Amino acid sequence: MKATWVRLSGIIGAIALILGAAGGPVPLQPGPALAAEELKISLVAPLSGRWARQGQLKKMGAEMAIDEINSAGGIKALGGAKIVLREADAGDSVEKAVSAAQRVLSREKISAGIGSWLSSFTLGVTEVAERLQVPWFTLSYADTISERGFKYTFQSSPVSSLQAEQALDLILDLAKRNNQQIKKAALVGDNTAAIVFFFKPLREKLLKAKGIEIAVDEVWTPPLADATALVQKLRSAQPDIVFYGATNFPDSIQVLQKVKEFGLKVPFMGVGAWLVTPEYVQALGKELLDNIMSVTAAHPLKGQEELVDKFKKRTGEPFMTQDPLMTYYHVWLIKEAAERARSTDPKAIREAVTKLELTSGAAANALAPGRIRYDERGRRMWAAPIIVQWQGGEPFTIVPAELATRKPFWPAAK
Amino acid sequence: MPTTLSRRASALLPFALLALAGLVLTFAIQERYHHRILTLTLVWATMGLSWNIISGYAGQISFGHQAFFGIGAYVTILLIVHLGLTPWIGMLVGAAAAVLAAVLIGFPTFRLAGIYFALATLAYPLILRIFMDFLGYQEVAIPMIRERAWVYMQFLDPRAYNLLVLAAFLAVFWLSHAIERSRLGYWLRALKENEPAAEAMGVDTFRCKMAAYMLSAAPPAIIGAIYAHAVLFVVTPDAVFGLLVIVQTLVVCLVGGAGSKWGPLLGAAIMVPLSETLDMTLGDRFPGIQGIVYGAALVLVMLFAPEGLYWRFRGLLVGRRSAPAAALQPIASPQPDAAAPRAVATDGTPILEAHGVSKAFLGLRAVEDVSFVVRQGEILGIIGPNGAGKTTLFNVLNGFLLPESGEVRHRGQPITGLRPNRICRRGIGRTFQVVRAFPHLTVLENVMVGAFVRDAAEPDARARASAALARIGLETRADLLPTGLTTLDLRLMELARCMATAPELVLLDEPLAGLGRDGIEVMMALIRRLRAEGVTVAIIEHTMHALVRLADRLVVLDHGRLIAEGPPAQVTRDPAVIEAYLGKRWLRHAEGLRA
Amino acid sequence: MTFADLVQYVATGLLVGGVYALMSIGLALIFGVMRVVNFAQGDFMMLGMYLTYFFAIGYQVDPLLGALITIPPFFALGLLVHRVLLVRVTGGGDPQREMDAQLILTLGLSLIITNATTMILSPMPRGIRTAYATQAFAAGPILVNQARAYAFLMALLLAAAVYVFLTRTDLGKALRAAADDPEAAGYQGINVRAMHGIAFGVGIGLVAAAGGLLATYHPIEPTVAVNFIVLMFVAVVLGGLGSIPGAFVGGLLIGLVQSLTLLVLPFQLQNVGVFIAFLLVLYLRPQGLFGQRMRSV
Repeated sequence: MKATWVRLSGIIGAIALILGAAGGPVPLQPGPALAAEELKISLVAPLSGRWARQGQLKKMGAEMAIDEINSAGGIKALGGAKIVLREADAGDSVEKAVSAAQRVLSREKISAGIGSWLSSFTLGVTEVAERLQVPWFTLSYADTISERGFKYTFQSSPVSSLQAEQALDLILDLAKRNNQQIKKAALVGDNTAAIVFFFKPLREKLLKAKGIEIAVDEVWTPPLADATALVQKLRSAQPDIVFYGATNFPDSIQVLQKVKEFGLKVPFMGVGAWLVTPEYVQALGKELLDNIMSVTAAHPLKGQEELVDKFKKRTGEPFMTQDPLMTYYHVWLIKEAAERARSTDPKAIREAVTKLELTSGAAANALAPGRIRYDERGRRMWAAPIIVQWQGGEPFTIVPAELATRKPFWPAAK
Repeated sequence: MPTTLSRRASALLPFALLALAGLVLTFAIQERYHHRILTLTLVWATMGLSWNIISGYAGQISFGHQAFFGIGAYVTILLIVHLGLTPWIGMLVGAAAAVLAAVLIGFPTFRLAGIYFALATLAYPLILRIFMDFLGYQEVAIPMIRERAWVYMQFLDPRAYNLLVLAAFLAVFWLSHAIERSRLGYWLRALKENEPAAEAMGVDTFRCKMAAYMLSAAPPAIIGAIYAHAVLFVVTPDAVFGLLVIVQTLVVCLVGGAGSKWGPLLGAAIMVPLSETLDMTLGDRFPGIQGIVYGAALVLVMLFAPEGLYWRFRGLLVGRRSAPAAALQPIASPQPDAAAPRAVATDGTPILEAHGVSKAFLGLRAVEDVSFVVRQGEILGIIGPNGAGKTTLFNVLNGFLLPESGEVRHRGQPITGLRPNRICRRGIGRTFQVVRAFPHLTVLENVMVGAFVRDAAEPDARARASAALARIGLETRADLLPTGLTTLDLRLMELARCMATAPELVLLDEPLAGLGRDGIEVMMALIRRLRAEGVTVAIIEHTMHALVRLADRLVVLDHGRLIAEGPPAQVTRDPAVIEAYLGKRWLRHAEGLRA
Repeated sequence: MTFADLVQYVATGLLVGGVYALMSIGLALIFGVMRVVNFAQGDFMMLGMYLTYFFAIGYQVDPLLGALITIPPFFALGLLVHRVLLVRVTGGGDPQREMDAQLILTLGLSLIITNATTMILSPMPRGIRTAYATQAFAAGPILVNQARAYAFLMALLLAAAVYVFLTRTDLGKALRAAADDPEAAGYQGINVRAMHGIAFGVGIGLVAAAGGLLATYHPIEPTVAVNFIVLMFVAVVLGGLGSIPGAFVGGLLIGLVQSLTLLVLPFQLQNVGVFIAFLLVLYLRPQGLFGQRMRSV
């Protein structure tokens, strides 16, 4: 009998706890109530755990845009409504990311959302956003994100497969202008989704179509134990270009160190913005990085010097990269949509995004080609990859040439 | 003894209360996010309950249970993506796959124990995780169905998911309850507490572990499939095969208390909402701090309740059930037997024969070419100085060791190499030199483990066990735990447990060790009574003066060899025996004395 | 594939394995003496990496030396952690339940350490740039990375030192006595609880040193432990419980298997080779390579 009482009290205690959590404290509100309506934007990104750095970079970009907008008077069509950021930590698992999205979207009136860096997180988070009918903006590259027939997902980066196609043309063009031939290519990377989607079309048709032989094709599961076998293959094959997808920072460092150790001089073309972050400088040094290139979705372009300066001053970061730039862009985009929609209602904002075409303003200026429109799948039209190159310890846009901030330098091969 | 009706009612009551609590919460909660917390709590409680079957009840700590969770999730989702098969059926396929996996994994892995077993099980989900990445299933999104979504387990209303996981939880809860009350449950607890003793009591430990493993594999697959739909929306190898899954399961079970069907629920009900509340209140503002607070909570709970909160609270509220400080009077004499004694056959047919048995350990010949016979109805004593190989011999007879050469026969049938549990079922019982009690089971439950060899149903086994205790005279101790019992009581309990397996031959290994004069007398009287009831006894003993009075015949071992055999009077005068025990010098001295 | 290629694979594997080996000895000591499953082992390694990093950046101390310097403070830290936390969940006589409690307790500790480090030191990865990380010794056609070679040698030295300590010194023997039979050791006048504390301290000191050595070529971030914790446990169990040389060999073996698997399986399945080898060893020798067979009845 006593045992049953123990059990009962256990259940009651458990119920009490759940109800307590259910009743839960209201999340802390910043500052006093505002007179005008607020536009709440949620940012669901990893802020703790393995990818915390990436999430924090995104947050920096968002905060900069919000400051700019709010100090310039907020959203005019809504009577000067200020934008408020509601960040939610996606942590280091899909479960946590989806929980974060659900938490922030169901507890407050969120007008639009941004996130979540890792494509698996983005896939889960957009499912929530789609069901709750809140427009969601992401920089993730994976094709699948906008292939689900969703109406509320907007993918602002060119998708991986498209990047592969366009980047190859751009690279061949670049090589030709530098009097280099590309006959042999190497595909070297991990099996994360974005890399897989990029390498697939290259491997299956694109390279062959250009008459380029695939001399090395090695994919690993992170973490990489040792890069010797990999780099040895590269050394034996002596490709004219290496497509490189080591998204896990320690893996990438090991590979590049090994490349230096073996004295290998081959042009490296990364796939993604992970290759052009400041931590590379600290870990490898400027000289080692020189001339390494990467295909990204966005990077500061010619004419954005002021923006970059402002970012550097605000955050202390040595330079600006894709992640904060994209989030900055997304916030401005949402602002433009809100102006046109004259509403903070998420459905109205989504509607406005599908209709808009921007050719001026901070959002349009942030990304090439300076003309913003989204197609019926939620993909940004005319989105083209940007090729970035490390020069003197900082990454600069080299392609497209008209928006480049530095001239490209094709590394001497062999 | 409570009536069957009230026992049934008291079994149903918690079940009904849980269902009620679940329903109340489902319909009382307003916020979507809180529904998610409820779903998560029940998912992890169910996962914990399943893990508990193999790791709590059976004591085989598994670090690889997420293999089944992931198999369920992936099989279901791949069937949707490739075949358009509804997950309601898909998850059953997943469950079947998981049970198959359990058999394949369990077969080679159960011979390992402890941390070896735990880590070996971990290897499997880690391998599966890598394979899923390799096969191109890094991120499989569940296709969103807009029309008749319920066919594909997609519900807009979060309450539907709450009810679904509640149903799954209740099913596994009922399963746990059924196991606890069943023969399998007793056997699992026995093998967890002391595997060799359980084997000797007729428990087929391998089959039991396998049964438990298979039972524990199906629910995770089902809950994994539901989790993919209700919580994840996209299945990645890390999300379902990764370490975080088993970590969450361990947290829920070990904080709540393993080995109990309430523990995982308690653990989940506290830790999951705690985690989400921390994320909600602190985590978004100061990312990382929720991890620190959660980690601190884990540390504190383990310092306060290392055995788990359920056991801790139970211990505090219900009080210890070991023997009180004031020792009960030792049993003076056992009760006369109510059941009719078996007909005593004294025709001397050999029950057990050993022919040329040899066993060596790394070159040390423990038993060398030993042959002898145990005849029906006799008390055979096996004596010899320390290290003579007596216990090793018993271990060979009983199936714990495989001899290098020679064979053992039971009623003419060869039994060499049979597992101890099979030998026990054939009617050969065994007690141990150091009493091997099942420490967390009561005296009655200890004996029931033996009784279950003959009775499949719990009430029958209970009755048989009670009768055995009464026969031995230990019924007043029935509800006590072995800790705190006197040596005599412990030995009596072990004997009762052995008798409950209804043996025709018992191998007693030093049953008089550690007993005082009175205890020895009690034990000897009991052994004689057993023989009178038709049980043949082979007994290893050190205490010569007791054995010469008790045994009909003696067999003497020295350095692994049989050096003498015959009636006590003859054997004790055998020069070889004297030399073995006391040495050559004493032999000469004794001869000198005799002369 | 030439013989030279094969030698290169073996060399690479052994070098990688050397650092795994050192990481594992610390865990083996803790496990062997105290039967404690320390989930936070990798996080102490991470802290060791950070300390080495600070010595390198702040005082230009080469990480190979820095690794050694981490040993005393981490030994003290280990003593403290044992005294304050672990002593409550060890040595009570119910090893099964205690392992459960230790698991959760050290898991909690791991969460605290990782998250606190992320918050205080920021999640940005850092690296120590040494000249020898990108240089190699050439032995004919075989290239041996210098950083890894130095780390391997240091690991070997430290492992040898531990072995000598355990077998030749009185304290070491007392530790082993406390591991083999705590009750008997107690009767001999050995303070078993103090022995546990020392074992834990040494174990933490060793893994911190391993971290320092790792930092010569591996970036440092708060979550670095997650890449190594499973391999550490695999190495210890592979080598056999209670065997320090076993853990060392286990670590080397893992590195070797990782490397040689590349000859047989696709690159992506590299770690599958390790796990399969692990399972095979255990199935053939349930007590691990050097472990003691459990005494039967």
